[in-house]
Amino acid sequence: MKTRLLSLWRTLTWSWTPISEREAGEAVVRNFWIHWFPAKVADQSFSWSYSLWLGTISLVLFFILTVTGFLLMFFYVPSVERAYWSIKDLDFSVSFGWLLRNQHRWAAHLMVATVFLHMARVFFTCAYRGRRALNWQVGITLLLSTLLLSFTGYLLPWDQLALWAITVGTNIAKEAPLVGDWIYFLLLGGNVIGQETLIRFYVFHVFIIPGFVLLAVAYHMWRIRKDGGLAALDRLESSAEIKEKAPVPTKTYSLFGLAKGTSVQVKGVDKIGEENSLFATPHLLRRIMLVFLVTFTATLLLAIFFNAPLEEAANPSVTPNPAKAPWYFLWLQELVADTTLHLGKYTISGGLIGGILIPGLLLLLAALWPFLDRSSPQSLGVWFPPERRTQNWIFAVIVIAIILLMYIGVAMRGPNWKIYWPWQNWPQLPTLL
Amino acid sequence: MVTIARRTVLKVIGQLSVFGAFLIQIGGAVRAFIPNVLYEPPKKFKVGKPEDYPEGVNFVPEHRLFTVRSANEFGIISAVCTHLGCTVRWESKVPEFECPCHGSHFRPDGTVISGPAPRPLAWFALSLSPDGYLVVDRSEQVASTYRFSPPAKEKA
Repeated sequence: MKTRLLSLWRTLTWSWTPISEREAGEAVVRNFWIHWFPAKVADQSFSWSYSLWLGTISLVLFFILTVTGFLLMFFYVPSVERAYWSIKDLDFSVSFGWLLRNQHRWAAHLMVATVFLHMARVFFTCAYRGRRALNWQVGITLLLSTLLLSFTGYLLPWDQLALWAITVGTNIAKEAPLVGDWIYFLLLGGNVIGQETLIRFYVFHVFIIPGFVLLAVAYHMWRIRKDGGLAALDRLESSAEIKEKAPVPTKTYSLFGLAKGTSVQVKGVDKIGEENSLFATPHLLRRIMLVFLVTFTATLLLAIFFNAPLEEAANPSVTPNPAKAPWYFLWLQELVADTTLHLGKYTISGGLIGGILIPGLLLLLAALWPFLDRSSPQSLGVWFPPERRTQNWIFAVIVIAIILLMYIGVAMRGPNWKIYWPWQNWPQLPTLL
Repeated sequence: MVTIARRTVLKVIGQLSVFGAFLIQIGGAVRAFIPNVLYEPPKKFKVGKPEDYPEGVNFVPEHRLFTVRSANEFGIISAVCTHLGCTVRWESKVPEFECPCHGSHFRPDGTVISGPAPRPLAWFALSLSPDGYLVVDRSEQVASTYRFSPPAKEKA
């Protein structure tokens, strides 16, 4: 009886421990959900302080966003007449609708932050060199997709924030040379922002961009393994401390038994040594569950205590004063406001310079950086290696400039976009014109 | 004499027809996103009677423009900022038009004082409808000096 209860408890709590290495390895291959894991993972990859687990956190946030998002789709109506009121219903009449919406929003804001921090981590640890350049570029498209998801997302409530963001956003696209007017017409589905525009951005938000992100993330993960795991392992492999071992042809953890030789990951583990790695089950699985729980709890707590704001219903006649984008776009708003150039009788609008050229060049610079970088292999997978001081400073200065612009936008811009010190009061303005 | 095997010819025709069919289908799908009918407000519309507007600058919210009146002379200036499309506000004390999104400032004649706006605010042509309403034609831009004087009312 006692043993039966014990086995029942074990079944319920799934306290599975592999009895042999073979069982541990096979457990990965036989399970659909984790078959894409490597069988063994180097100790280094578990380090909190090396990777900060930012990529995993971003993926967890994307998962939370997908689940809360598809639930929200049951309540949201993508129509200019009803969108705003369906959000009001979520906030006030649907049971726990506010919780769904809040969690979706907080996960979205956190995801912008973690995806960017993940990028910064990869830069500061020089983990984008050589064969990893392609995955770095995939990462940049994922950062861009995250921002586009946020943008298309906050348009959907069709409040004042949404309407003026879509107005400014599409007008920036209109500034693109040659194709601008054509893109503007296609984005709007006409010449005036309305129902056609909302439904286009809605489909982008709930299907096209998330679908792309799903595929790109899968490729991103696959490439990490094909490129030999985290960059920190490369240095371990190349360091003299680890002696080259003879390959063990009889023992393979490759995914498919038919594969000849050893898989990339196994080769890595062989070089690092069996004793310096852990089986993916249960160690990696447990770690990912822990990261999931912490991330989920964080978004849930934020959602319980801080409500997602909703401005007044969209009013195409009157722009709120001042009209501000969310924090992650405020630096762009600041740029488009400050970069109009007057050259003799020619004027180049800030929409083109600050809205398209500068962010475009920053993305291009980031994408090409792996090929400009001349760091030695010793710097690979190390935080702030001395020889990369200049490079790290360039990255840091760009980030600090962006944060400064954000701060000016958040704290120092008042009515009619005038500069006020944070401690200065804004003048009282009549609300209507 | 170049000889091409019948099999090669048929194979190329087959491949081209498959890819051609796909391309045409994709083309059709893309074309569907360019609307053929637009249910948009007309470019020419009434904005009220001349006597509805007092002296000076008045905002007409539903059409995002200002009427500018001086005695019997009327002008229509757009409230859409030429920078990125927000609605500018009339600050009568200064006096100038100011944009709440990126801080462009315009003189009462619409020209740019400061800020990112690349062009002056647009002025539109005015006319009077037979039933006595001011009619704005958004498709016809005019100079900032343009003013319209509605003919004096004939007493019946």
